[in-house]
Amino acid sequence: MPSWSNFQPFIPIGLAAGGVYALSGVGMVVLYRATGVLNLAFGAIGAMGALIAWTMINTWHVPAGIAYVACILFGGVATLLYGMVFGRLLAARDPLVKAAATLGLALLMLGVMNRLWPAQVTRSITLPTDNTAFTFGDASVDWTQVIAVGFGVVMTVGTAIFLRVTKIGTAMRALADDREITATLGVPVRRVEAAAWFGSGLLAGAAGLLLADLVTLASDGLTFIVIFTLSAALIARLRSLTVTFVAAMVIGLVDNLITPINSITNFRDMTPFVLAIAALLFFSRERQYSFARGGIR
Amino acid sequence: MRKHFGWRVRIPVAMLVVAVGLTIAATGFSKTSGAHAVKAAGLACGLGTGQKATGTPIKIGAIAVKQAGTDFTDIPNMANAYFQCVNDNGGIYGHPIVQDLLTDQTDPGALAADAKQLIETDHVVGIAGSSDIIDCAVNSAYYKKMHFNVLEAGIAEQCYSSPAEAPVNMGPRYSADGATQTAIALHAKKIAFDQSNVPGTQYNLGGSKLIAKAAHVPIQFLTEDAANINGETAAEKEVQAAGPGGAVVLVFTPPVALAILQGAQHLGLENKVIWTCATPCNTDFLATALGSAWNHKLYVNAEMNLISQDNGPNSVLYQKVLKLYGSNVAGGIGSFSQFGFLLGQLAVKGLLSIKSKVYTPQTVNAAFKALKNFKTDFLCKPWYFGPLPNNTDFTVYPQDGKMVLVPKSGCLPISTVDPLVKQVRAYEKAHHV
Repeated sequence: MPSWSNFQPFIPIGLAAGGVYALSGVGMVVLYRATGVLNLAFGAIGAMGALIAWTMINTWHVPAGIAYVACILFGGVATLLYGMVFGRLLAARDPLVKAAATLGLALLMLGVMNRLWPAQVTRSITLPTDNTAFTFGDASVDWTQVIAVGFGVVMTVGTAIFLRVTKIGTAMRALADDREITATLGVPVRRVEAAAWFGSGLLAGAAGLLLADLVTLASDGLTFIVIFTLSAALIARLRSLTVTFVAAMVIGLVDNLITPINSITNFRDMTPFVLAIAALLFFSRERQYSFARGGIR
Repeated sequence: MRKHFGWRVRIPVAMLVVAVGLTIAATGFSKTSGAHAVKAAGLACGLGTGQKATGTPIKIGAIAVKQAGTDFTDIPNMANAYFQCVNDNGGIYGHPIVQDLLTDQTDPGALAADAKQLIETDHVVGIAGSSDIIDCAVNSAYYKKMHFNVLEAGIAEQCYSSPAEAPVNMGPRYSADGATQTAIALHAKKIAFDQSNVPGTQYNLGGSKLIAKAAHVPIQFLTEDAANINGETAAEKEVQAAGPGGAVVLVFTPPVALAILQGAQHLGLENKVIWTCATPCNTDFLATALGSAWNHKLYVNAEMNLISQDNGPNSVLYQKVLKLYGSNVAGGIGSFSQFGFLLGQLAVKGLLSIKSKVYTPQTVNAAFKALKNFKTDFLCKPWYFGPLPNNTDFTVYPQDGKMVLVPKSGCLPISTVDPLVKQVRAYEKAHHV
């Protein structure tokens, strides 16, 4: 069994990954509660935003800061466009159909990315905080990792506050509780949904940028990283932001802490599935498992 | 009053517009082709006549892997770029070469069907330019049965043992041997060998295991999910496995290697161990992406010469062909496109050697099999149709955004501790290669 010094370096890596999964998970849960759509294209949108940022920096020689903003805005706009067109068309369909439609979007975007940005070319995004590492015990930590964790915390807390104290946040919670009554009360449902799509998309763009730096700038890898986010959201039963955050951090940590254990390191990819299944079985055992939209906590 | 045009008017007008558009496009294309032909005149591609070949096409097949994390289509695409240059220079005595390329996603069933489609349905007369993780494993027996002698950039074991296959490259196993030898030469105390967990890659570590054992250097083998690589996690794992004074041998495609090396840099690990890599890392794209922080820190086993430091005729022609015809060679200058270029040249040499000028599977494959003593500045030794003709190569490292030859490294013979290398050297000695 590896020693503590072998595990230590994987803690900041795991926490950073978990922070970004939490960021994405919050976006996914809020969108689901407000619109009933489980957005499986979350990763693909972030990936395309990151590739656009890469092109802006390396081909068009745009300042990096502007490219990063463009990446995040692309996430917001692309998600909003999808929501306003297909979200509306599929509003009356059941959640499985809506989720499958977003999977279609993910696959379409993946095809476009593979065409426009072929895999053979080496690409990377380097944030200014990347090469400023400091030591914490036996672990080397860079400021990008700190930002990833911090951003995850800030967005989780910030979103929870937003949902509690702002008018539009209250409207989103009302939509999550009961869409028909909310509409009857004169809440501008379409506008609230649009806000949810756009906000969720901004988080997709931000997550894509951070993951492109922390993990890899590859369309396939970034698209399917949504699996980690989805697992965190499922463990939270697509309801609780706090549980989403904790689950995401646990998934990120466990996935990385397994790495130095030679006997199971090759099974790391199973981490999100195993944890999600274990959590869901546990919840169903306690009869708390429910598909109903019961509000955002 | 506005006049409205019914469908009886609109449809013919639309057809007219489409026809005019197509004509303009065709004119533009032929102008472009014409421009290509003008530029191609004087290039030493094939016969070098500067005249476009317009006869019956000669169909040459190829299979390449194209999936998440692994895309080798640059190899056949560059071979085809050379074919296009040849076609603009008289072709094969007036016959243009047409490439029939099929891509694969490491699916044995589909791969077997692809080979059958090429030979029995599409009726290619030869196969040149293939590069697939498992093509040789799945299809070499079939190629032998159908009397096809395949020119390829090999990966699987069968590419280097089947009499129906002849690789221009060393492949990941022997290139990894070279990277391991370099790590040992740099006094590594332990080696961590890391590669993709794609099926069929176990073969790659065999030679490094023997070489490390012969040098009494411990070696540990790791794998990664290349399609979902986390660079920082992989880099930390490798450095821990290598230990202080150790070396890491990477056997990955450039995007995956870049993710790992950048992950190492984020964690301040670039100076903790010796970093070496097999041939795929030999690309200026990688050197540029890594930046000056990696100057002289990543030793890459390069199976072919460094284009930027070689003004030999093949190197010069390669760059011209890449520029003029290689728009779909995404990786640009680097080992993969060099493999493709050499494969194209070999195929053309074989075709031009057919005295009867009758191009059938029998004549073409006999010509491919008879290829020998092909001298090129890409390789340390002349190429011949055989199991491992490229067994001596170069070591390079990044310097300010480019890959450069490690000074005084010369041509590095791959160790004869690896059994096939020993066999091949004995063959070459006996036949004065």
